[in-house]
Amino acid sequence: MNRSLVILLGALVLGVALFGSSYFAGQRACRMTRSADDLSWLRDEFHLSDAEMARIQKLHEGYLPKCAEMCAKIAAKKSELETALGPDTHVGVNSTTNVNPVAQQKLAELAALRAQCQAQMLQHFIEVSQTMPPEPGRRYLAEMQRLTLGFHEQTEQSMSKSMGHEHHQP
Amino acid sequence: MNKENINPAPGFAEASDAKLSTLLRATRVAPTLPPRFQEGVWRRIEEAAAPVKVTGGIAWLDALVTLVLRPRLAMATAAVLIVAGALLGVREGSQAARQDAQARYLAVVAPNSLR
Repeated sequence: MNRSLVILLGALVLGVALFGSSYFAGQRACRMTRSADDLSWLRDEFHLSDAEMARIQKLHEGYLPKCAEMCAKIAAKKSELETALGPDTHVGVNSTTNVNPVAQQKLAELAALRAQCQAQMLQHFIEVSQTMPPEPGRRYLAEMQRLTLGFHEQTEQSMSKSMGHEHHQP
Repeated sequence: MNKENINPAPGFAEASDAKLSTLLRATRVAPTLPPRFQEGVWRRIEEAAAPVKVTGGIAWLDALVTLVLRPRLAMATAAVLIVAGALLGVREGSQAARQDAQARYLAVVAPNSLR
């Protein structure tokens, strides 16, 4: 093989190795320097002061037990629903192709619990947004609504399109 | 005691050196140069002074290697690669860390069963 070609390929490999190693080192260093705190995203994204963060921390600590309680209720209701569906049913439909009334009842209760939990969550987001300065507060609320409720909208919209019908709202 | 005069008479040394030089010159044998010696010397000097001509289809490759292996250029290229890699890594790492932090916050305040 030509000596020049070998030298050139060696230089190329060395260049790629230099670039790659510095890229990974930079990436790793950046990720390691970030805080692993649950609320670090709020501080960094919305540029909050220590006082604002302290108020949010207090709200956060107050919200977590309520959220855990609701999650436990939802988990219990899901378990009840599975029991109501029984081993012979397939996705809630029994042999007579009807959803059994107990399962229907449990589904409604589960939906109500989820709605209650979502309302509580939204209330928490509103309280947190009010703790922030107006502009970051609005941005935070919009972002949280998009991240938590927007997912359902996207799913529903995609289902409407794929099923070939639209739900027209008044 | 008789003291012998060891100092030569004035002018003796100069006359003796001149004789000696004449004798030495007469006895030295001048080597005969090979044929076309001078021409050969000049040809070598010209070849050494002329830029190296590379023959063949990959002359550009040799030229490129010569360029790449210049210490200043090699060092500058290495420095640019390191800085560019580190900057890009920090940028990507920053975005990934931001997404991780957002996901962590979201997982705490909005469990998956609610989303």
